[in-house]
Formats: sequence, C-alpha cells, structure tokens
Amino acid sequence: MEIYLPIAEQSMNVFVLLGLGGAAGLLAGMFGVGGGFLATPLLIFVGIPPAVAVASQANQVVANSISSLQVHWRRGNVDLRMGLVLLLGGMIGSSAGVSLFTYLKNIGQIDFVIAVLYVVMLSTIGVLMLVESARTYIRRRRNPEAPRGKLHTHYLVHRLPLKLRFYKSKLYISALLPIGIGFVIGVLSAVLGVGGGFVLVPAMIYILGMPTAVVIGTSNFQILFVAANVTFLQAATNGTVDVVLALLLILGGVVGAPIGSRLAAKLPGVVLRGLMSVLILVVAVELLTELLRTPSSLYSLGFRQVMP
Amino acid sequence: MRAWSIIVALLIGLLLAGPLAAPTAAQGPRIEPPAGGIFGPLPGTGAQSSDPSVPPSVPSQFETPDLIVDLSRPRVSITSAFQGESILLFGMFDPPGEIVVVVVGPPARETVLRKQRVLGLWLNTGRQAFDDVPAYYSIAASQPLQRLLARSAGGEILSLEDRMQSVRSVGQREHDDLIRFRLGLVEVKRREGLFPAAIGQVTIQANRLFRVELPFPSRLPEGIYEVRTYLLREGKIVAAVSRPLPVGKVGFSAQLAGWADNDGPLYGLGAIIMALVVGWIGGAVMRRI
Repeated sequence: MEIYLPIAEQSMNVFVLLGLGGAAGLLAGMFGVGGGFLATPLLIFVGIPPAVAVASQANQVVANSISSLQVHWRRGNVDLRMGLVLLLGGMIGSSAGVSLFTYLKNIGQIDFVIAVLYVVMLSTIGVLMLVESARTYIRRRRNPEAPRGKLHTHYLVHRLPLKLRFYKSKLYISALLPIGIGFVIGVLSAVLGVGGGFVLVPAMIYILGMPTAVVIGTSNFQILFVAANVTFLQAATNGTVDVVLALLLILGGVVGAPIGSRLAAKLPGVVLRGLMSVLILVVAVELLTELLRTPSSLYSLGFRQVMP
Repeated sequence: MRAWSIIVALLIGLLLAGPLAAPTAAQGPRIEPPAGGIFGPLPGTGAQSSDPSVPPSVPSQFETPDLIVDLSRPRVSITSAFQGESILLFGMFDPPGEIVVVVVGPPARETVLRKQRVLGLWLNTGRQAFDDVPAYYSIAASQPLQRLLARSAGGEILSLEDRMQSVRSVGQREHDDLIRFRLGLVEVKRREGLFPAAIGQVTIQANRLFRVELPFPSRLPEGIYEVRTYLLREGKIVAAVSRPLPVGKVGFSAQLAGWADNDGPLYGLGAIIMALVVGWIGGAVMRRI
C-alpha cells in the first residue's frame, strides 16, 4: 500500500515506513537510544530527500522519547537537575545546528556532511563501546568477585568551575561539562535528525560518570525537548518536516519499543552494549562504502525554484 | 485550541485519507467540458498565452473543427493515495493526417549537482543552474517522430533534445562542460520519469479517431501543465489544440502542504503535539498489552 508524503512530495510504501519506525523503536526499547541513527540513513537509502528525512526523524524522536520517558519518570530514574543543565546546552546547540543545516543545504553539501558525520561518529562510538564491553566481559569472567573500583575516576574536568551537586546521580561536578555535552548533542540532533542518545548515553556514563540506572531516563528527558526544538525550527525555517512520514515512523516505533525493552530485560548489560556497538559499526561501514563507491550517476538535482 | 483541533483533524484525516482518497481520484472518467479552446481558434486559451515559452505560431484561421481533443481527467490530483497516474488523451481529426502530442510541465530553475572523487570520497563539487527547464516533457506521435519532424513542422514541435537546447544556463562555464551538465540534467529527469525517454504511441482508429496514454510519475512537480495536440499533413501543422492540465495536491495532502508553507511555526507546533499525543498514548497502550 502506497501513501503520498505531502512534504517529501513522493509516494512510499506504508509498510516500509512502519517497519523502519518499528526497527528504530526496537532499538529505543532495547538500548535506550532513539534509533534515529539507524532510521535516518535508511530513510535516505529508500529515497526520501535527506533534508526531509532528518527533519521528520526529529519529529519521530519526540514521540519516541515521551513514551519511554513515561516509564523512567514513574520509576524515578530521571535526574531532573542534570536533565535541565544538559537541556540548557542542548537548546543552544540545536538552534545553532538548524542554522548550520540550512547553510549546508543552501550550498548543496548537506548530504555529504550528513554521511561523513555519521561515519566518523558511529565508527568512533562503536569501537569504543565494543572495546569497553569486551574488556568488562573478560574481566568479569576471569574474576567474578572483583571489588568495584571507585565510583568514578577524577580527571582534569572535575576541576572546572561552577560546580553543582547532582544528588540523584551522586555527582559533584562542574555544570559546564553537561552543558558542553548537551550542546554537542543539540548540534548533532539538528544536523543528523537523531535524538543523540547513542552519543549522550555513553557520554553520561564515561565522561560524567553517572550511574547507569538514571542515565537512560535523564537522556530521554533532554532528548525530548531538544528534538521538539529541532522539529519546530526545521518546520519554521526549512519547511522540511513531513508529519505523514513522521506519524508512520511513530506508529511503527510505538509497537517496536515495548518489544525492545522486554528483550533488554532478559539480556545482561554487557551483552546489550556489545550488540549495540556491533550494530553501530555495521551502519557506519555501510555508510562509508556508500561514500567510497562510484555512484551510479554523478548528477543529482538541487533545489527547484519555480520561476515567477 | 486551534492547534488541538488541527491535530485531531490531522490524525483522523490521515487514517481516513488512504481509503477515502482513492474513490475521489477515481471519479475521473466523467468528462469535463473543456476549458475552451477545443472548437475555437486556439491562441486564445488562457494558460497558453500567458506562457512566454510557447511559440505564438499556432495558426488561427481554422473555423471548422479539424481537430477535437479531450482528456479522461481534467486535472492530475495528488491525493494521499497518489502513486503516479496515466491520463488518456483522445480525440478526432479530419483525415488525412498524423497526430503529435506534446506535454510540457511548468518551467523552473533547476540546479544540477555533480559529484567528484575527492580523497577517495564522492562529493558534490560542481553545480550549474539552468533557467526555463520544464518540470515535465513528453512527446507522443502516431508515426516515428524523426519522419514527421524531418519534414519540419515549422520549428513548433520540439524533440526533448531541441527543447533542452533553449534552456538557459546561469553564469559562465566552458561549453563542453555545460553540455555535460545539461546531459546530466536530462539523465536525472529521465530517471525520475519526468522526461520519458520513449516517444508515446498515438493510436489511430477508423482513420479519424486517436488516443494515447500520458504517463505521469509519482514524484510530480505541481503547476499548470500544457497538453498540445497537433494535426500534421505532409509535415505541416494544419491544426493545433492546447489544453491546460493542472497538477496539484488535493484534499488532505494539499491542506498539510499548504499549512507547512504558509505557517511553518504553527505547523511545527502541530507536529510536536501530534508526536507527543501519539507517543504518549501509544506507549501507554502498548505497555498494557
């Protein structure tokens, strides 16, 4: 069954879009990330213009994060203070990101920048996570009774000013750190149409040293507002949010997410992180080959301007 | 309040749009009275005279209807169920003669991007804009076109290649490179089905009735298209009929696109509220199952 997407201006199979949304939702449920990093490139592969894919995906992230935030909020897994500080950076970052996006679109380089950013980011994170979870796995197998180390190690970053106490996260760190992380996530969210959870979650664990229990809820909190900001700005400045496309992705995601979280409950964290890093690497490699392979056609069309 | 009612309408609309839109689009077979220009002298038809790209050389001295043309649908309606459409053009002419049909979409400026390998990566390095590029261009004929055009139809009927010659490039560029860009433009348009490569076949029956299917792809730019039908005798145009063919979004698709165009911020808010409502309800429902 085909449906016409009014902003993308083309028809597309409903089940393909529902399936994509479902896959993204599955990831969201399993790993607590939005799945946008997988859905956006796939939307582009099936022929949705990148600008529309990115903006509509941001809209989908709004729905995705509210439905998982529901659960985490009720369980008290949201560090509200940390969330708000992250959000401050996120709002600035996403607003800057939409401007950057508009500029790149106008000079015709947005597709390339999207692809390159994905490759760099996904491969870095994928490798880091894979190494980390492999190391943890080996250590645990060798020595299951190993005492836990310090809660977190102290780096130079902990000497930054503006220190704030985050009770729920059991942290006493500079607010500049989460603001900076929030800013980067905001830019990524705007340019790539992702929630940014796949960067945010590791950053919260490894850079901020937050306890895993509150990480996913808190990241969902920040992502919800950042994605809403991106959706709003993309609609207002670029007119590239396709709500029909977004709604189909959301409906797919709504079904996929609870299946993912049920799966996640049955698997240990190390295995889960290992799986996720492999998935991230697969997408990165796929995107990289796309950039390296000789294209079937050298030519494409930019924006079409109707003459007065 | 307004945003809420729009959201609700949007959700309901989307659910209904698929099944409902199909019958709306299918009511086509009723034949609309032509917008004028079938019987009368031609150049008077509104859409034609306002378009400077149309040569004004259509002869106007015919009083008898040498050529009568109609379309199976008066417009191409882009509904939620739209996936391209085929419109039947049919008519009658005074024998003898051959029929040529040219469909031209509204002109626009198109920017062609060209990829190049830079440090092993393919990226868009070249760009060239062209003015006056028709959104769509297709030709159908009752005889192989070369034979008809070789006898010169007064420069009126242009093959796609000839039409593209008149496309103006924006800015300076070396001649050979410009030709490559122009070929690239045709290649992309062809891939999207907007410049059908094959000449359509006009079938003639009983020596005076003719018909031809005009194919339109799903990714179709909006605007007023022009369907020109020519009657040729011995290589000369003896009659021509031009009919405007509006292509546009209708119903739900049109409302949404119009809303996104005219009031982006409000549309953005609507999109956010839609996502919040569906995400919230969906999450709550699915967790209970």
